Amino acid sequence: MFLNRTEGLPLALPAALFTFLVFLVPVGILLSVAFQNVGGGFSLQGYVDFFAQPLNRTVFLRTLKLGVLVAAVSAVIGYAAAFCIVSLPATSRGRVFGLIVLPLMISPVARTYAWIVILGRSGIVNDVIVGLGLSRLPIRFLFTETAVFIGLLQLFLPLMIISLVSAMENVPKDAVPAARVLGANWMQVFFRVILPLTKEGLVVGGTLVFTGALTAYITPAILGGSKVLMLETLLYQKVNVSNDFVSASVIAMILIVMSFSANLLLKRIATAKR
Amino acid sequence: MKAFPIWLILGATLTFLIGPFLIVIFAGLSAGEALAFPPQGLSLKWYAKVFTVESFRASFALSMFLAVFGTLAALILGIPAAYALNRYKLPGAETIRTVVAAPIIVPGIIVGLSLLRYFVVPLNVSILVALFVTHTALVLPYAVRVVSSSLNNLRADMEEAAVILGCTRLQAFIKVVLPNIRGGILAAFILGFVASFNEVPASLFLSGPGVRTLPIDMLSYMEITFDPSVAALSALLAFMSVGIVFLAERLLGFSRYV
Repeated sequence: MFLNRTEGLPLALPAALFTFLVFLVPVGILLSVAFQNVGGGFSLQGYVDFFAQPLNRTVFLRTLKLGVLVAAVSAVIGYAAAFCIVSLPATSRGRVFGLIVLPLMISPVARTYAWIVILGRSGIVNDVIVGLGLSRLPIRFLFTETAVFIGLLQLFLPLMIISLVSAMENVPKDAVPAARVLGANWMQVFFRVILPLTKEGLVVGGTLVFTGALTAYITPAILGGSKVLMLETLLYQKVNVSNDFVSASVIAMILIVMSFSANLLLKRIATAKR
Repeated sequence: MKAFPIWLILGATLTFLIGPFLIVIFAGLSAGEALAFPPQGLSLKWYAKVFTVESFRASFALSMFLAVFGTLAALILGIPAAYALNRYKLPGAETIRTVVAAPIIVPGIIVGLSLLRYFVVPLNVSILVALFVTHTALVLPYAVRVVSSSLNNLRADMEEAAVILGCTRLQAFIKVVLPNIRGGILAAFILGFVASFNEVPASLFLSGPGVRTLPIDMLSYMEITFDPSVAALSALLAFMSVGIVFLAERLLGFSRYV
């Protein structure tokens, strides 16, 4: 009875057409801007011009660097946290897991705003530093790469922990004790037993964190300002300050290509699993 | 491993993840004029002030409207699509899936800019309509995914039985399928509501005089003023989303669907 293939189309088409028309078409037009010269012909001049400017190159590399760093550090913390979570008894495991997921429900504006209170000139960290006499004047933390890094790490760490916990649940209970009994030290246990068994979770978490950091707007806007631009905040500036839509289109393309390839990778892992 | 390092590591991680947020709650309780922690004396005045700021009230209403009706619109488009993708071998099913999922992959800021330049301006659409359309499109992938996974758990024989017993396809859907995927639909609604309400990048370019979502309004407010009211508002909003999700988890085991 469900063999009539086209009968279902009217049900699915409205959603697809809607997204296509109001979403993909405008985005497509924006992406095409950088490929056109003044006369409307094909040209890559927009890309050449974009990367010719040192500021744009710096921002591009900084965005990549922060993305990789945030993913790497969250992997290290994530493994430690995930290892602890899976070794908890079931009830407290559920509670701790709930607390890890909780921040994802909170508005990123609120979560990033917290760091102004902590890292600002009269924030907690500076109160302690000045109070202890480590420095006479408050140190500037806001609007530095470090502040952006900390903000991004806090924002995306839960995604890494979630992926690693679900990967670690598939590691057989006896694998670690067995390796220990056979004489492996903790380093060997990690690199020869845990890592190979949780590789997929690491890639999934890493991709989520990397693309998240790459395409974050709020964190670099609040904690980096115009001093520490990332691609998203640079795009905003290109449009609102210099009215430069060609550069905006180039940045859009870079972000979409990176985000899309990360998603392809995820899809491939998901299908390889099955 | 002994219990001690486990709790030490988890304690440090949770402090890093949740601690800053507790600080925001307390910073909002300050009796002083400037944002500081520890707060200078305790008072609820900033929590009270939030409700008197005209622009916050307007943008809260707009964000609520978008989150509720944008998500409903996404469900109206998404439930039939999820059903069709699940129950029929559609020609081009893979394409439809990819198109519908696209809003997750395209970074929000690009969406907002594109819609402003190539939808709002040339077609003379109002910002409000553009915001509504954007939020609907952004929530649609979640709606399709959550409803799909709920449909996956429902065997198709029940509808077939209903049809054999004389129901039309539509009656079978309304009488048999809908009651059974109710939980999934509610879960999709809550997920979409929270995502839409907290959305920033796509709404960034889609704001005009008097039309602004709440998170955007907070961003521009904190650029000008450094008082604790944004801290108080952040805390209130967080309680709202956490409360909604917590209730949903208690009442219907929300996490099963996500």
